[in-house]
Amino acid sequence: MQKTFQVPHTPIKQFSLDNGLRIVLNEDHSVPVVSVAVYYDVGSRNEREGRTGFAHLFEHMMFQGSENVPKAAHFQYISNAGGTMNGTTSSERTNYFETLPAGQLPLALWLESDRMRSLAVTQENLDNQREAVKEEKRLRYDNQPYVNGFLRLFEMSFKNPANSHSTIGSMEDLDAATVEDIQEFFRIYYAPNNAVLAVAGDIDQTETLSLIEKYFATIPSQPEPPPVDVAEPPGVAVSQDAYLDKLAPVPAFALGWKIPERRSPDFYSLSLASHLLFEGESARLYQKLVKGEESVVQIQGGIDERRGPSGLFIVVIPKPDREGAQIRDTIFEEIRQLATVGPSEEEMEKLRNNLFIASVRSRQSSLYRAQQLAEFTLYDNEPELFNTDLQTYLDVTAAQIRDSVAQYLDTDDRVLLDIVPAPQEVPPASPQEPGDPDQPTSPLPQIPAPPDEASAGSPLPNTSQAAIESN
Amino acid sequence: MMQTETFRREMPPPLQPRPLNLPESSQTKLANGLTLVLIEDKRLPLINFRLAFRSGDANDPAELPGLSDMMSHLLTEGTTTRTSRQIAEEIERLGATLSVGSSSDFTTIAASGLSVYASEILELIADVTLRATFPQNEVDLARENTQQMLIQQRAQPTFLASERMAQVMFGAHPYSRISPTSEMLEALTRDDLLSFRDAAFLPNNAVMMVVGDFEHDSIIAGIEQLFSEWKPAESSKPEFAAPPELQNRIAYVIDRPGSAQSNIVIANHGITRTSPDYFPLLLMHTILGANASSRLFMNLREEKGYTYGAYSNLDARRLTGTFRATAEVRTAVTGASLHEFFYELKRIRDEAVSVDEITNAKSYLTGVFPIRIETQDGLIDQLVSIKMFDLPDDFLKTYRDQVNAVTTEDIQRVAQTYVQPDRAALVIVGDAAEITDQVKPYAETIEYYDTEGKRKAEGGR
Repeated sequence: MQKTFQVPHTPIKQFSLDNGLRIVLNEDHSVPVVSVAVYYDVGSRNEREGRTGFAHLFEHMMFQGSENVPKAAHFQYISNAGGTMNGTTSSERTNYFETLPAGQLPLALWLESDRMRSLAVTQENLDNQREAVKEEKRLRYDNQPYVNGFLRLFEMSFKNPANSHSTIGSMEDLDAATVEDIQEFFRIYYAPNNAVLAVAGDIDQTETLSLIEKYFATIPSQPEPPPVDVAEPPGVAVSQDAYLDKLAPVPAFALGWKIPERRSPDFYSLSLASHLLFEGESARLYQKLVKGEESVVQIQGGIDERRGPSGLFIVVIPKPDREGAQIRDTIFEEIRQLATVGPSEEEMEKLRNNLFIASVRSRQSSLYRAQQLAEFTLYDNEPELFNTDLQTYLDVTAAQIRDSVAQYLDTDDRVLLDIVPAPQEVPPASPQEPGDPDQPTSPLPQIPAPPDEASAGSPLPNTSQAAIESN
Repeated sequence: MMQTETFRREMPPPLQPRPLNLPESSQTKLANGLTLVLIEDKRLPLINFRLAFRSGDANDPAELPGLSDMMSHLLTEGTTTRTSRQIAEEIERLGATLSVGSSSDFTTIAASGLSVYASEILELIADVTLRATFPQNEVDLARENTQQMLIQQRAQPTFLASERMAQVMFGAHPYSRISPTSEMLEALTRDDLLSFRDAAFLPNNAVMMVVGDFEHDSIIAGIEQLFSEWKPAESSKPEFAAPPELQNRIAYVIDRPGSAQSNIVIANHGITRTSPDYFPLLLMHTILGANASSRLFMNLREEKGYTYGAYSNLDARRLTGTFRATAEVRTAVTGASLHEFFYELKRIRDEAVSVDEITNAKSYLTGVFPIRIETQDGLIDQLVSIKMFDLPDDFLKTYRDQVNAVTTEDIQRVAQTYVQPDRAALVIVGDAAEITDQVKPYAETIEYYDTEGKRKAEGGR
């Protein structure tokens, strides 16, 4: 059934300014909108002990005004021009982006350049955003079943604190951040030579370049930031643990494996293997456990893609009365099967078609193009990977998938975390969980939204808040 | 800090605006009454399908809440020609997607993929539409797993808030039910699913939308051939009870001991999707709480730091709707947040919005409009809304004019009509022992519920 297929080529141009700012442009006139993405080479992996959550807290500060842009006016300028915007922080990078009517490109460049060159940091803004971030932590972590429990997995997997600590950080560390910390962090990491600017959409390339020159060329570069050490000793840090979760209504468990860094040959094979194991209803584990044995209510998995040691994980909610150990045996057996026999020809065809569609579908959105171009430029200095990375995936053979699974997944060097519902007790007046383990890259056991919530509501996209996200 | 270059002092003017060419749609009706809406979009080799039916959760029999959901879920779990596993394997081997979803007013079969596989995808849509069998083992499995989901969703504060809000606002109206119940799942039979499907899935009750890279004549011929056996029939028009009137302000506290936050929902009755007040309310909603530059966000988050986000919600459906204000706030500032909410709700009624605010809101709505139709998914979902809510066919073409026609007076008029703080339902999920004293000043009475949704005598432990 495999049909021949040609993915359209996306035109990409790369430039740089004397101050070290790297620039990528994609001119595409299909819809009169433009997306701008600025990626800074700083994430939670750059945080030192005692300042966890700092990169993300800083991201919030970037919306609090600069020399010519008043506090919180960033939101206003973008909305009032008919645009949407956001910023996110991961272990690897912090990004800022906006999509606007094409004619509003100068506004986006003005706002991004003003905060890159002259962020205004005050005690009042820091205190306010610290509270907003704490509410974000309560909303998305502390008040949700399974989330903090599941995130313990990363502490168990990694030995190097740069890799194991969470992006959201701890309440104590958020409290400890000072205005001086923020200013120092800005100087070190928010320099043009530590950033990439990508613009995609209905633009004129020459006009765009001269606007970028105008707004960014006079921002001075800074010394290189200190190097990051994400090297991991072999082996997981803690192989088995249990987490008492007072919000979890039923038990769950999570499994985690350490895998090599993004764009390594084994990473390509393992991300395809993960698709076969747990993506979609035809996936091996769904068919074995949810169907087949009917032992599991939900199974989800994912890959935490990093420039250093990365992770692969599976989260399972067993049916009542089902033994976790027996379910895990089935999972390990299926992994062993993939590690010895390898994928079938039908599965390889499925992978090829899924790679094609993902590549084509993603090209529709100017924001997605801008983000991907910025990311490939920041991590690899090679934006053309947007066009060529697909072929690298397509070239992966069934034998390579089999061998990577054998080496990295069919092993006892993995992590098992049981999440156990804790009995309700009289809780403290303001619940705080010192040293919460968390990692915000988590497709978690999610309960589908009530049906009416999914369809009802505003006809508009809710411009989302500054957030942390998965990749 | 370096000296500012003069050009940085002011926001720059925009470049020459670039025209938006709305794609042309064509509409046709097959002999059996199935309406087709087609938009050819050849930018990328992709195709998107939506087959939508004017029947949804509101059509669930009172004794079987969630039937439409269960029917939708089970549609892809077996047909006369394919098992559940074969359906999943065939669609995923094409790299395509096929899913069925039910909302309160309609049910949608959605599929998409590479356009080279258009005929294979269409054949799978026809198979699940016309030949689903609801195999007994799949019904039993869905029943068991959904029972577990019911347990899970009670751990989610947003579900608890939505459940209480819907019951208070809609009473005996079917919009009050947002989830299957345990009793319903026990009672559910294969025959219930078959007869519900047969009543809802009529060609004359459906619209097929296709957006993407296809040839106009051949896609119509393909659909005609695959759906030729499908016969029209009279579709029933159920009568629904009216939602209850709210007479005063009552607080409904769902006690969730140890909750790290209070989830606040303040709700009033709103409008249907086709109400002439839709656009004035949309503007009011944009100014009050649609996004991160609206009043609620600016006040409760940016000024006070009480929350990660405070928003309003304009929920306009086919039969009725609500207008709501919401935020998740830390427990200690529950009362202070209510103070700010009611301040903002009163202000939008009492004072005309400024010229700047209405200008900015119009600019926002007309500006984000093309972003929403940038992708095929975005565009086809607009078509689904237009057809399922019976909006005019030129809705997309006139959208920006409709937004721009709204006046300051229109906004104040709809604010005074629909924003009724003294007759609002105030739903709060949180730790009752911690928040009762904070809530008392803002409600005439407080009713307490547990996380099972059962009324209880009082808050606290």
